[in-house]
Amino acid sequence: MVNFFIFVGIIILILMMVVFYRVLKGPTVMDRLLGVNVIGTKATVLLVVMGVIFERVDMFVDIAIGYGLLNFIASIGAAKYFQHHKVLQPRSQWEEDLTKS
Amino acid sequence: MIWQFDILLLTLVVVCGFVSLWIKDLMGAVIVFGAYSFLMCLVWTGMGAVDVAFTEAAVGAGVSTIFFIATVFHTSRTIRYNKWDLSTKFFSSIICILMGFFLMVAIGDFPAWGDALSPVNNNVAKYYLENSMEETKVPNVVTSVLADYRAFDTMFETGVVFVASLVIFTLLLQSDGRKKLMKSAFQKVSFLNVSESLIIRKACGLMVPFMQLFALYVVVHGHYSPGGGFQGGVILGASLILLSMAYDIKKVFARFHMKFMIKSLAVGVLIFAGIGLICLILGGNFLDYSALSKLFPSMGSIKSRYNAMLWVEVGVALTVMSGMFAIYTSLSSNGKFEEGL
Amino acid sequence: MILNIISILFFTAILYFSSSPLVFYLLNGLSICLILLGLFFFLGTSIGVIRFPDFYTRMHAAGKGDTLSSILILFGIALFVLNTGTLSIGLVLVCIKILLIINFIFIGSPTATHAIMDAGYGTEVKHWTNDSEGIKKKK
Repeated sequence: MVNFFIFVGIIILILMMVVFYRVLKGPTVMDRLLGVNVIGTKATVLLVVMGVIFERVDMFVDIAIGYGLLNFIASIGAAKYFQHHKVLQPRSQWEEDLTKS
Repeated sequence: MIWQFDILLLTLVVVCGFVSLWIKDLMGAVIVFGAYSFLMCLVWTGMGAVDVAFTEAAVGAGVSTIFFIATVFHTSRTIRYNKWDLSTKFFSSIICILMGFFLMVAIGDFPAWGDALSPVNNNVAKYYLENSMEETKVPNVVTSVLADYRAFDTMFETGVVFVASLVIFTLLLQSDGRKKLMKSAFQKVSFLNVSESLIIRKACGLMVPFMQLFALYVVVHGHYSPGGGFQGGVILGASLILLSMAYDIKKVFARFHMKFMIKSLAVGVLIFAGIGLICLILGGNFLDYSALSKLFPSMGSIKSRYNAMLWVEVGVALTVMSGMFAIYTSLSSNGKFEEGL
Repeated sequence: MILNIISILFFTAILYFSSSPLVFYLLNGLSICLILLGLFFFLGTSIGVIRFPDFYTRMHAAGKGDTLSSILILFGIALFVLNTGTLSIGLVLVCIKILLIINFIFIGSPTATHAIMDAGYGTEVKHWTNDSEGIKKKK
C-alpha cells in the first residue's frame, strides 16, 4: 500500500510540473498566479500523502492544516494589488509601447 | 527520504529559482517565489524536518509573499538598467559565480546525509535526544532544544523580530500617519475605486476564527506536535493581515490599535527575558528554568521547566504576531495607516 | 461541511460494529477508487491549464478541477487512515483533521479563484474571441 501512495505522490508531482509550465511561460502575470494557486493546493495534498508514506499522519496533518488555511492569502493579496493598479504589464514597458505606436 | 520525490522536487525548485531571476516583471518574480516556498516546504518535509517545514509553510504561504507584494505596491515594478548598473552587475555576477563554485567544492567535505558518525550527531545532539524526555518531559525534542537548552539563541531571535518590525515602523512612519496614530481617529479616504467584494469578506469571516483557533492550538500544543511560538504567532499575524486585506486597516485597528501592537511587541520580549531574569534572581543561571521551582515548590524542577517553556512560547507568539502585523501595516500603507493593499 | 463529518462518522460506525475482513477490503477499495478519481480530475486540470486558449478558460479549469481533485484525494486518504490498524480515538482525530483541511480548501480555493478572476477582469486581460490568433493559426 505504501507503493501505491508513492505512486500517487509521483503522479501529483509530475502533474505539478505540467502546471508549472504555465507558471514558467504564462503570457500574463495572472496566468502565473493561477498556476501558483494550483501548486499551493496540491502541496497541501502532497503533505498528507507524505504523512501516510512515513506512517506519521498525525505529525504531518498539522502542517497541512496550516497550508489549507493560509494558501489563499497570497492570491487575495496579489488580486488586491491588481485591482488597485489596474495595469497588467509593468508601467515603463507599457509606456514604451505607447511611444512606439 | 523518498528519492523519486526528491529528484522531482529539487528539479522544480531549481527551475523556480532560475525563472524568478529571469522574469523582468517583479510582480511575476514574487509570485514565482511563492511557488518556490511551497516546494521548499515539501523538501523539508521529505527530509523529516517537520518543524522547519511548518515554519516555511506559515511564513511562506502567510506573510512573506504579502510583504513582497506590499513592497512592490509602493515602489516600482520594473528593474531599471543604466550603463553603470550593467558594469557593476557584471563584476558582482563574477563574484557570485566564484563564491558558488567554492561552496560547491566545500560540499565534498560534509558528512553524508543522516551519517551516524558525523560530529553533529555525536556531541550535543546526542545528549539532547537522550536526556530531553527525562529532564523536561517534552516529547518534541525540537521544542525543548529551542525553548530550553538553546533558549538564549531563541531569545535573541525574538529580539531580531522585535527590532526589525520596530525599525520598519519608524522608518516608514510619516507625519500625517503619526497624527492619525496619536489621535487614533481615522477617516476613510476612498481615493481608489476598488470594488469591495462580498464573497471575499464572507469567506474571510468564515476562515479567520478557525485560523486564530488553530494558531492558539499550535502555540499551546508545541510540546507534543510540530509548531510552537513562532509558527503560531505567524499564523495569528496572517489572520490579522487577511482581515485587513478583506476589509481595511481601520477595521483591524478598531480592535488591535497600533499603540497596543507596539506594546505587545515589547511585552513578548519582556516575558521571555523576564523569565530568564527571575531565574537569575532565584540563584540559577540566566534562563535556567529549574530555578523556578524555588518560587513554586509544588512544581518540581522538571515540571517548572515544562511550564516555563509554555510561557516562553506565549511570549514569542505575542512578539511575532504583533511584529508581523506592524510590518504589514507599515509596508502596505506606506506609513500613512489609511488603507491597506 | 456537516455532510463530511456525518459521512466519516458513518464509516467509523461501520468499522466499529463489524469486524469482518470484507468491510476492510471494501473500504480500502473505496479509498483507492476515490484517490484515482481525484488523480484523474487533476490530470484534467493540468491539461486544461496547459491547453486552453485564454486566461478565463484556464481559470475555469484550474478553479474547479483543482478543488474537486484535492477534496477527492484527501477524502480517500481519510478513509484509508481510518482503516489502518485498530480503531482508536487518535485515528478518528486525524481523520477529522483531514476533513477540516477539506473544508478549508472548499472555502479558500474558490475564494482565491474568484479574487484572481476579478483582478484579471479589472486589469482587462484579453479574452479569446473567434477571430483572435488562436483560430487563425489553426487554419
